[in-house]
Amino acid sequence: MTEQPDTFPRLLLQQARLRPARPAFREKDLGIWQTWTWAQVADEVRILACGLAALGFERGDRLAVIGDNRPRLYWAMMAAQALGGVPVPLYQDAVAVEMAFVLQDADVGFAVVEDQEQVDKLLEVLPQCPRLKHICFDDPRGLRHYRQTELTGFEDLRAAGREFARRSPGFFAGELEKGRPSDVAVILYTSGTTGHPKGVSQTHAAMIQTARVLVAFDGFVDKDEILCYLPMAWVGDFLYSYAQMHVAGLCLNCPESPDTVMTDLREIGPTYYFGPPRVYESILTQVMIRIEDAGWIKRRMFHGFMAVAKRAGMGILEGKSGIPLKDRLLYRLGEILVYGPLKNVLGMSRVRVAYTGGEAIGPDLFDFYRSIGINLKQLYGMTETCVTVCMHASGDVKLETVGPPMPGVEVRIADSGEVLVRSPGLMKEYHKRPDATREAIDAEGFFHTGDAGYFDAGGHLKIIDRAKDVGRLADGTLFAPKYLENKLKFFPYIKEAVCFGHGRDKVCAFINIDMAAIGNWAERRNLPYTGYADLASQSAVLDLVRECVEKANRDLAQDSTLANSQIQRFLVLHKELEADDGELTRTRKVRRRHIADKYAVLVDALYSDRTSCFVETQMRFEDGRSGTVSADLRIVEAKTFGAAAARKAA
Amino acid sequence: MTAGREIGRPILEIDGVSLAFGGVVALQGVSFDVREHEIRAIIGPNGAGKSSMLNVINGVYHPQQGTVAFKGRKRRNVDPHEAAQQGIARTFQNIALFRGMTVLDNIMTGRNLKMKSNFLQQAVYWGAAKREELEHRAKAEAVIDFLEIQHIRKTPVGRLPYGLQKRVELARALAAEPELLLLDEPMAGMNLEEKQDMSRFVLDVNDQMGTSIVLIEHDMSVVMDLSDRVVVLDYGRKIADGTPDEVRNDRGVIDAYLGVAH
Amino acid sequence: MQFFFEVLIGGLLAGVMYSLVALGFVLIYKASGVFNFAQGAMVFFAALTTVGFISMGAPFWLAVALALLAMVALAFFTERVVLRPLVNQPQITLFMATIGLAFFIEGIAQLTWGANVHALDLGIADEPIEWLIGNTGMNISKFDLVASGIAAALVAVLAVFFNKTRTGRALRAVADDHQAALAVGISLQRIWVIVWMVAGFVALVTGLLWGARNGVQFALTFLALKALPVLILGGFESIAGAIVGGLIVGASEKLAEVYIGPHVGGGIESWFPYVLALAFLLVRPEGLFGERRIDRV
Repeated sequence: MTEQPDTFPRLLLQQARLRPARPAFREKDLGIWQTWTWAQVADEVRILACGLAALGFERGDRLAVIGDNRPRLYWAMMAAQALGGVPVPLYQDAVAVEMAFVLQDADVGFAVVEDQEQVDKLLEVLPQCPRLKHICFDDPRGLRHYRQTELTGFEDLRAAGREFARRSPGFFAGELEKGRPSDVAVILYTSGTTGHPKGVSQTHAAMIQTARVLVAFDGFVDKDEILCYLPMAWVGDFLYSYAQMHVAGLCLNCPESPDTVMTDLREIGPTYYFGPPRVYESILTQVMIRIEDAGWIKRRMFHGFMAVAKRAGMGILEGKSGIPLKDRLLYRLGEILVYGPLKNVLGMSRVRVAYTGGEAIGPDLFDFYRSIGINLKQLYGMTETCVTVCMHASGDVKLETVGPPMPGVEVRIADSGEVLVRSPGLMKEYHKRPDATREAIDAEGFFHTGDAGYFDAGGHLKIIDRAKDVGRLADGTLFAPKYLENKLKFFPYIKEAVCFGHGRDKVCAFINIDMAAIGNWAERRNLPYTGYADLASQSAVLDLVRECVEKANRDLAQDSTLANSQIQRFLVLHKELEADDGELTRTRKVRRRHIADKYAVLVDALYSDRTSCFVETQMRFEDGRSGTVSADLRIVEAKTFGAAAARKAA
Repeated sequence: MTAGREIGRPILEIDGVSLAFGGVVALQGVSFDVREHEIRAIIGPNGAGKSSMLNVINGVYHPQQGTVAFKGRKRRNVDPHEAAQQGIARTFQNIALFRGMTVLDNIMTGRNLKMKSNFLQQAVYWGAAKREELEHRAKAEAVIDFLEIQHIRKTPVGRLPYGLQKRVELARALAAEPELLLLDEPMAGMNLEEKQDMSRFVLDVNDQMGTSIVLIEHDMSVVMDLSDRVVVLDYGRKIADGTPDEVRNDRGVIDAYLGVAH
Repeated sequence: MQFFFEVLIGGLLAGVMYSLVALGFVLIYKASGVFNFAQGAMVFFAALTTVGFISMGAPFWLAVALALLAMVALAFFTERVVLRPLVNQPQITLFMATIGLAFFIEGIAQLTWGANVHALDLGIADEPIEWLIGNTGMNISKFDLVASGIAAALVAVLAVFFNKTRTGRALRAVADDHQAALAVGISLQRIWVIVWMVAGFVALVTGLLWGARNGVQFALTFLALKALPVLILGGFESIAGAIVGGLIVGASEKLAEVYIGPHVGGGIESWFPYVLALAFLLVRPEGLFGERRIDRV
């Protein structure tokens, strides 16, 4: 048997043969970690598959899977695949109506769900989903009095499965034989920005090949551990948890409940870890709060050694030479006194690689983790490409980029600046949406990501914005407003920024200061102020913001593609941008066009040579009244840098 | 665990109970019963004697007249810890948890009565004592799971927000596997979501464990939704007794209680 | 430098003995909020009872067992005669009651066993450890070392008892909230008996060690006074505090005696801990490990 298994059920059986007694799943239940070995899991899956077959599940049927990360739900996915069916994981916090759409769109006939909460939602939409015939639930709590014929308890399902397997012993193996790598392994729904979500059909081949690349890339083995805590409906969980565990034979740990993740993390000590930037951010915030609450000895020690880590930690992590011996020794001491215990509390003592992606990560955040010795790397990809387009290799990590393309992945930059991808992990199609599929994948087989980016000198891809938002300056160079705005927002003093420049000769910006951070800054300097507008107009504050902008300009100058996008003039707005005033979306993204119209006077002033501008705005106060605020805003010139000058300054 | 919601024989019978502190009359000739598996609410305006009634049931106060019979046995002047031994657990209007101890330790104190190892065995923490500790830990974990408080298992109670403390107090009461559970304003000071959670837990306790529950609560919609029968007290006297619908439409209640409250 | 360490270690070992005395106070204070003035008398009573049985011809272990029984009886007596009648009285009343109790215990002890000084031999010689002198030149008493070992074992046993057992948990529960403890079925009276029993046991160990060192005599009751600075340093409610406080007091008084003593005419060992405690009161009144009380209005 030299041939590699090519479907997920075959992978499972291989693992059960290779390492029957090694742990495959763990779940904390009643305060104790329960373990299932690979052999046990293979057996459970066989019983479940037979149980589903007994309910009438057939090749090609779709199985909805809804709930928190639970071993039984993963097994249900595997059972469906073993029968040639397609699992469709749904977001467990979706409301019933959203679920109804997916259930109809994917023609779901069976569902395996976690608990009463999910059962209630499905029962609510049952009339709209006539194909949905069977709902199987894991946790019977509260369901004792439910009499609906559609419902089956997990234990009943298993009993039926055992009975079915007894009567037709060869059934499971036979069904497994029929599976083809080109079969769809899973349908994952992506929440597009507009309209209904689209179902992305991924084949066994695409997922397994991608997982193999990833496993080889960071050298995962069966001793690795991961804690799965991100939604099962998200491609990342399917790939990083489900696909990788079956390829590498590693162990998947399910948290006790969504609220206990931090504790579970500490107890399991996973060896690799994935989280979007906001997760890393909230962990850091918790750390900082704990440190500020701690006694002064601890606090001093923390800040002292964090300074050492900032100086030397990242160099040591990347194996660079030229770090003074004193810093090396201090770092070693810090590892014992501060970084080690800290990583232990965060459950990251054993983490070999940590990934982040999905959105830009702040430099402070990124540096914090890397400097205490956590190998945090960025990656880039989407559901349609099995994530895995680009990724940092250990030792070649840059904050600004998402790394070079992964092995086997072709990345092309279109003339428009859009990133195009061709890879073995590309989706088969959008489920039931040939039009959308045609639109997304061109004749040559490249997927249009909708993101704009470019390659830097080191061959790393740099994502700068959504392709549709990217413009051009008057001289034809790339103008990526969101990229600039993010760069500004990473300064703690700047809360929001709006950049202008499409079709103009230079870039100018509106800025919102961060009231909490600057207010605190002002108090420390004994600067009196009465409120936001007052604070925003003080010249000391404007100088502070100008320093931030110039620092951003210096960075930009080093990047040949974006050097012309340095911010030349800016002003600090007299009011905070508010969703209530239509200036932000409800998810707090700036509505650039609307703001440009509303404050046209200010934009004009920025592009004239005036040094101040009077403005009057309608706004809604917190108590619901509305009124006008007016102010005379100063326009500030910021220094810009030539590429050479920037290099010298840096 | 007894299964079921089939309301059975009376488990608690209060007969003509009167209680006075010095000259102040708190309860005057109050009689009612609580049946097995029933959720029984006591309502009434402030100072109507609701909490006094609860304190009589679990032995904090000893009535001057009348009798309290629990599981058919009349009793006089039991102490709270004796009432607890007989199978009565309670929560308090102003949370009475051990603030310096962890959630788990608090819940384990609820199991104290069920533990049998003797003082000497514990002093050396050996054999039976250790085995017993683990056994009861499993029971405590079941309660933790039931009330969904896994994430705060090791947190000192004093650091928890109010709503969670209320839940921990319920957990400690449940850990004793009581036959009668007294809840003194379990939802006071909670926001709407916390109230819904707590209502769900109360119903689940009643439904899955078959526990009889006596409930004091100010939120009328909660009382009407949860309880099987309602006793209305006013100035220490019982003025009505019946299903929520009967009580709601009772002329006397509307006049005396709802009128006074507003 | 070597001399400094010798003094320091000698002081720390002496401090362990102070910790033991303070421990008895902390146990009772935690569980019932009573400052037990009679703890010193209990130490005296326990030691004297042991010696008394020995002088009557009982073997050592039997004498210890009988003394322990006497301490248990004393605990029951105290709960029944002193604490139960005074339930819900102000703390000062209870404190006064323990002063009375102290006189009573002292009286009973001397009435039964006489007022002479007795020697107590635990079979551990109070002599320097040869090996240490040979290798480091430091003069450390073997007895002090063994005594510290016994004290450490006692503390370990107490820690397991408090944290892992039902009764230990009940003790902590009672210390935390009486009303709640009653509602979960904990009997306060039983807990008080137990806590006085445990304190009696600690007093017995303390009495044996101190008695073997300085002779079993009435002066043992004054140990209670030495525990005060320890408690102030460590906090009244913390076992860890009692230990650390004892170590600080032991080490600092010896060091002060050696290094400051000659400049002020010597003899400061006996009062230096009180000055230290007084200074500490100004900085951190709740003690090193005490619970900071935040009174909410």
